[in-house]
Amino acid sequence: MTGMMTRKEFLKTMGLYGSALLCAGTGYAFGGQKTSEIEGIQGHIFKDDAPKAPWKWSIEGFHYETDGESVECQICPNRCQLAPGDRGICRSKVNIGGKLFSLTYGNPCAVHVDPIEKKPLNHFYPRSLIFSIATTGCNFRCLNCQNWEISQKKPEEVQHGELFPEDVVNEARRRRIPSVAYTYSEPTTFYEYMFDTAKLARQAGLKNVLVSNGYINTDPFLELCRYLDAANVNLKSFDNGIYRRLNGGTLAPVLKTFKNMHRQGVWFEMTTLVVPTYVDRPEMIRRMCGWILKELGPDYPLHFLRFFPRYKLTRLPATPVEILEELRDLAMKEGIRYVYVGNVPGHEGVHTYCHNCHRILIRRNGYFIERNNIKNGCCRFCGTRIPGRWGTL
Amino acid sequence: MNQRRLLILSIVGTGITSVTTQLVTIREFLTQFHGNEITISLSLFCWLLLTAMGSLAAKRVRRISLNTYGLLVLVIASWPLMQLIGIRQLREIFFTHGVSPGFYPVFFYIFVTIAPYCFLTGFILPCVQKILNAGHTDFTSGDLYLMDSIGDITGGALFSFVLVYWVKPFVTLAVTSTLLILTGLVLLFRSRSRTLLFAGLILATLFYIPALNSRFETGTLAGQYGHIEQYAESPFGRIVITKEASQYTLWESGTPLYSGSNVISSEEKIHYALSQLDRVQDVLLLSGGLGQTITEVEKYHPSRIDYVELDPALTTAAEKIGLIRSAPGLRIINTDGRSYVRTAREKYDAIIMDLPEPGTFQVNRFFTREFFALAGKILKPRGVLSISISYSPNYFSGIWKKKASSLYATLRHQFRHVLVLPGEKAYFLCRNGRLFTDIPSRLKVKSIRTTYVQGFFYGNVTAERIREIRNCLDPRAPVNSDFHPRLINRVFQQWFWEYGTSPDYFLLVLLAVVLAYLIFIQRKEYVLFATGMAGMGIEMLIIFAFQAVYGYIYLKIGAIVTAFLLGLLPGAAIGNIRRGNDRTRLIVSEVLLLGLLLLFYIWAIRFRTPLSPACYLIYGFLFSLVCGFQFPVIARMIGEHNSPAAGCLAADLAGASIGTFVTGTLLIPLLGIQPAIVFLMVIKGLSLGTVVLFKKGAIVK
Repeated sequence: MTGMMTRKEFLKTMGLYGSALLCAGTGYAFGGQKTSEIEGIQGHIFKDDAPKAPWKWSIEGFHYETDGESVECQICPNRCQLAPGDRGICRSKVNIGGKLFSLTYGNPCAVHVDPIEKKPLNHFYPRSLIFSIATTGCNFRCLNCQNWEISQKKPEEVQHGELFPEDVVNEARRRRIPSVAYTYSEPTTFYEYMFDTAKLARQAGLKNVLVSNGYINTDPFLELCRYLDAANVNLKSFDNGIYRRLNGGTLAPVLKTFKNMHRQGVWFEMTTLVVPTYVDRPEMIRRMCGWILKELGPDYPLHFLRFFPRYKLTRLPATPVEILEELRDLAMKEGIRYVYVGNVPGHEGVHTYCHNCHRILIRRNGYFIERNNIKNGCCRFCGTRIPGRWGTL
Repeated sequence: MNQRRLLILSIVGTGITSVTTQLVTIREFLTQFHGNEITISLSLFCWLLLTAMGSLAAKRVRRISLNTYGLLVLVIASWPLMQLIGIRQLREIFFTHGVSPGFYPVFFYIFVTIAPYCFLTGFILPCVQKILNAGHTDFTSGDLYLMDSIGDITGGALFSFVLVYWVKPFVTLAVTSTLLILTGLVLLFRSRSRTLLFAGLILATLFYIPALNSRFETGTLAGQYGHIEQYAESPFGRIVITKEASQYTLWESGTPLYSGSNVISSEEKIHYALSQLDRVQDVLLLSGGLGQTITEVEKYHPSRIDYVELDPALTTAAEKIGLIRSAPGLRIINTDGRSYVRTAREKYDAIIMDLPEPGTFQVNRFFTREFFALAGKILKPRGVLSISISYSPNYFSGIWKKKASSLYATLRHQFRHVLVLPGEKAYFLCRNGRLFTDIPSRLKVKSIRTTYVQGFFYGNVTAERIREIRNCLDPRAPVNSDFHPRLINRVFQQWFWEYGTSPDYFLLVLLAVVLAYLIFIQRKEYVLFATGMAGMGIEMLIIFAFQAVYGYIYLKIGAIVTAFLLGLLPGAAIGNIRRGNDRTRLIVSEVLLLGLLLLFYIWAIRFRTPLSPACYLIYGFLFSLVCGFQFPVIARMIGEHNSPAAGCLAADLAGASIGTFVTGTLLIPLLGIQPAIVFLMVIKGLSLGTVVLFKKGAIVK
């Protein structure tokens, strides 16, 4: 019969069309993915990815809005709008039945005891140890994350322990550790767990320390500040484009967090990882220092850390020490009183110097303090008050 | 020169330029992306598959003019340079600067950037046969295969034994494209079209000017590296030294191997191991002797430091800028580390290994039971061996635990005590004596001062962290061996885990495409498909087995690859001779291939004794001789009047692409070498069955 295909011709035709579609789809996907990567690497909502029911380590979210079906998480500027069954960008928050649940409550996957200087916090009870916990999750997608194995995973994908807030406090007390750090991944994403623990820790006389990217909304943060004693917040760069391309976030909310901490009287220190070809530009650092001085003042320490290739960002060299020194000099000339160099053992920039008489106040050898010339919070030599939280816990 | 000879010369020229372009391009991809086995296999897979698609497309072409062919020839000759420049520049456009992309982006990028060239080279060969036969000459598919093989062998040998030692990629392409460019120009000259000839001359000029400009070539790398101080290409990879402020960074194949002032890495790798010993006299460094490392070793006043590094270009470049400190007793030995350990007569107090992750067959050889047994033989009775892998200090994932456990179990086979210290990397210290965890105390007793260890050790390498890492290691985990490289599989899993992707979609689509293709092709073409698959698969297995036994000896491996290429030529020549019953000859060749596979399998199962390198060469030659024999025989069986060249070439290349990918990324890492051979035997058995079970009438379409 004319006009009819044989089976083989049909298969061939379908195969050719299929191959053409595959190639077209490949090109489109590739082009689309690349375009979005160039614009930014912000995470996305995971559609239909929530569990059917909350598991043991869940709690209803503290800050969200709902219309009975969809929810909008209000913890961080991502403001994930989740339909029922969706999971948020941070991977920790889900919409189950029109309610927002955190899946990271009482199930830390990383529990360690660290020296306080590791956070890094150099002006907060030096030599003390800190009980550090983290669950999974992060609202960023940093290409050089050191803790990607937990920050870029869902809570169901990792092995975790069980330490509810009261257990955290009991454990810290049992080990005689005077403070608790919410750290490693991004504590904003286990806000409820952190908040409840911090409250109990404060009641028990323990200090609370936040180590964060600062990407949190004002209301939840101000509530948390009531129990916060100190923080180290990353100021990853002073460029919104770099925040988008390297970290998957934006700059403005982070700056707001710094201002909030300053107003609330929370002691904090800032950390900038100097990524070569991105964050090593003196003019950007100068602008950053200008903002810090104007909005926060000169007293909050700034740490410039040396970058090493890590995670997905493995095709860059380590930061030259010379660049760190230049940026440190620049920051101090601009007026920031305490500027440190990190990840460069033995460097003179690890010590604390009096901003008035310039003598060494704290001489460090790694985590050891070889000499401490701060007496009652003041320089032993010239009597200048040294900003920070001193003494022993 | 008459037209026929000119056209035949163009086939040889295409072979020369396509093989060298393939080698140059794959090396480029390894430098641009991860140098793991997946990238190697993906590059080859895409190359062969796209070339097969080009050959398949040529089936639709009824005729092609000489002018068009002449232009195509010139495009093919000059395109490689554009392709290489494109790969380097587009990377900075499509990917964030400094990022190592994941599986799918790498796959798409490779596919898209090489598609035009591969497609054209696959397309042009069947076309030239049509031109030759249109001129009433009898140029069979077997003749085409023969001439192409001559070109492939010439190009492969030229690159592997000459060019790679002396010139950089641009000049390589310029040299190897010359025959084809000249041929193309002569063809256009004969066309009597001045416009075309002029266009051809312009194209050739535009090709040679940048190709022969070394500054331009270095400039094309600036986007990736920044300010380049030195740049060298060696058989082992690309060495680049950059300068950022006053810091030198040494890059090896696109990865920053060492940056100045990295005291953390140097101190940890040396002092965790050497502080275990009461006395240090003889130290062996397997890679990682740059920067501060030798200085740290010298603090123990050894009488001998042997530093083994595979690539002399690396150590030469490092010495020039002072990245290798001269020291009394220091001997730099440029050879394969495993080969050195196997043949060394010296005994050492410490063997310190600083190697990349075991993501390639090359590196995995240093993480196996067999290697540690060799190392144990050159270690003094109380000597210590140190090896490290990367990890995340605050959390141990399930995949990492499996990887670490496999390494731990492998080490426990040789050493009574294995201690893992969680520093910036996870350091595995191995000894048949006691191991100490309190490194700073040991250093204090020896009066050795350090910048990093003494100040940071107690805060980073706490007793609790040491206990946690020890508790997650399973001594019953599968052992990593030469012929069953389990660690490679773990490294692959970790890579996918890191990027949150899975190769499942790719594998499913690949399976669907292969099945669809097998439905379309003729049964005889399936034989070529299976032979292509077995040929590439066995080549990978032979090289893998050779490396495991002898080490990465570039010249010898190059010789094996050349032996595989060389065998095609006489095989094709014999196959081209019309004698006897082709079906019978084909069956015999299939049985021979199966027999050779079985021989290799028996050796892998029963003996595994080191064979003379000549055995590998002879085996490779014989195997590819039989493979080469089959092509003209099958083409003749299909019938030249059916223009079989395109389909046969496509089948051969498609099979080779699948064989490369499946063998390199699935069979060997997942199952090991023996099951991989069995798989190839099954494929070959099926194709033998295809020939035997169907009668002559049913075979011919």
